[in-house]
Amino acid sequence: MSRTVRLAVRQALLEQRSFWRSAEYALFTFAFPLMILLLIGAANVGSHLPGTHIKNTTVFVPGILAFSVIVAAYVNLGSKVAVLRHDGVLKRIRTTPLSAGAYLGGLLASTVVTAILITACTGLIGWLAFGAGPRPGELLALAGGLVLGTVCFAALGLAVSSVITSAESAGPVAYASFLPIAIISGVFDPTFSGLPAWLSRLVAIFPVKALAEVLQNAYAIRPFPAWDLVNLGLWTAVGGAFAVWRFRWHN
Amino acid sequence: MSVIDARPPVPVADDFAVHVRGLRMSFGGTEVLHGLDFEVRYGEVLCLLGPNGAGKTTTLEILEGFRAPAGGRVRVLGLDPAAQPARLRERVGMVLQECGFPRQVRVAELIDLWRGYYPSPRPLGELLEAVDLAGARNTQVRRLSGGQRRRLDFALALAGDPELIFLDEPTTGFDPEARRRCWAAIENLRGLGKTILLTTHYLEEAERLADRIAILRTGRIELAGTTHEVAVRAGLATRISFTTPSALRRGQIPLPDGIDLTIRGPESVCHTANAAMTLRLLLAWATEHGLGDLDGLAVTAPRLEDTYLQLTSGDHG
Repeated sequence: MSRTVRLAVRQALLEQRSFWRSAEYALFTFAFPLMILLLIGAANVGSHLPGTHIKNTTVFVPGILAFSVIVAAYVNLGSKVAVLRHDGVLKRIRTTPLSAGAYLGGLLASTVVTAILITACTGLIGWLAFGAGPRPGELLALAGGLVLGTVCFAALGLAVSSVITSAESAGPVAYASFLPIAIISGVFDPTFSGLPAWLSRLVAIFPVKALAEVLQNAYAIRPFPAWDLVNLGLWTAVGGAFAVWRFRWHN
Repeated sequence: MSVIDARPPVPVADDFAVHVRGLRMSFGGTEVLHGLDFEVRYGEVLCLLGPNGAGKTTTLEILEGFRAPAGGRVRVLGLDPAAQPARLRERVGMVLQECGFPRQVRVAELIDLWRGYYPSPRPLGELLEAVDLAGARNTQVRRLSGGQRRRLDFALALAGDPELIFLDEPTTGFDPEARRRCWAAIENLRGLGKTILLTTHYLEEAERLADRIAILRTGRIELAGTTHEVAVRAGLATRISFTTPSALRRGQIPLPDGIDLTIRGPESVCHTANAAMTLRLLLAWATEHGLGDLDGLAVTAPRLEDTYLQLTSGDHG
């Protein structure tokens, strides 16, 4: 057991080193959410949600936190595993006695590190630039929401990696499969509304809005997001089951 | 090129490193391996030779534990690969076709990571030396040339100090220079006492590297043995030729008895299954007619290429 953990840690360290070595990739991963945070945040400074005293930014910043989690866990992990499979790296790993648990554990641990770094940056900048921080006493709830979100979207990332068939399409597929949902989920626009009823129901099914609402609850008082937690739990189970069912070591 | 010392292979219950009997494999109801029998002895290089689509890679994948066979008995280092893949992989090194490296890692970093996967790995320095990559230890893998990448493949396959090494078409797509360097690396492995099973569709490669050859064709082992045995068993004859003596060309002396001699202008040729006997008869005939030792006398052993071409003529691909 301890050997498995040690091997997983080594794997995670190498993944992190490789991640930061490809500077443009790391920069883009961080720059995308942070740029959106700063640009759209600046446009919302001083405005309030219609009919309330809730500042737009206290809803918007946790929305971007959700976005950051999804980029780190879903997009990065999903496209990474697809590329590893396409390049034959997974196949090569299979020629060694390394257990699948140690290898995937290492990849997941590295994903968690990236998710922590990116959400820390997002949260810190949101607080410093727009004064939007979690409610007092809600830090633990925020951390819990981030963990749940990371686990859920990592499972979905692994699942989507199995339907990506080429290294070239890995990034585009990963982004295109969630950006439209993120937009209609109102992640980028705190005042976003006016969706037709059927589309609202559709949005409520996906885990993007659910994660955003869980995190928003830690920033601004909202109804306890019980259904959102159920939603994330279900998607974690579905994503995990699909990932396990469809996982392949080679194309 | 080598600084690695040879460690004797550990004997197991079976006397063979690889022992295959009646191996069958089917894909979607179509049988692709029709009952293979072959074995690899400890310390030898066995070459599985055959055209594309003969089933070489499938056979190797079964031995490596990636696929469960449809029938037959397979033992690799005394283990059943399908049932005990993890234990097997601690003792076997594999160089597969088209296996990539992680992007953005350095040579030494990757080899060192690989060493961590095995219970008793070779030292990093030895591995770098053995594959001639010591000078590139800090190079990122994506910047390596094709030949260097192949040598890195070897280093990773050797990281766990395996007793047995599987090489699946190690030089396919190489230029002649890279191929020669790869052959040198394989000969180096043999020098270390490693048992090697290699597949190829290059005759030259099999002839150069193999102690024994098994010719696989459309899911069957057609022939197995040393290069010479294979050629002999294929029924190919030794070729004996000499410069046609002018007296013979002019019909002034009779043809030798018991020899199927053909006069092709300046050269006389015969094919025989028993070279020694034919030579004795031929030289006696030459002495009898004052032809001396026969000018330009040449004895050509049957070549693998002839065997192979004879066997696979009519195959496509």
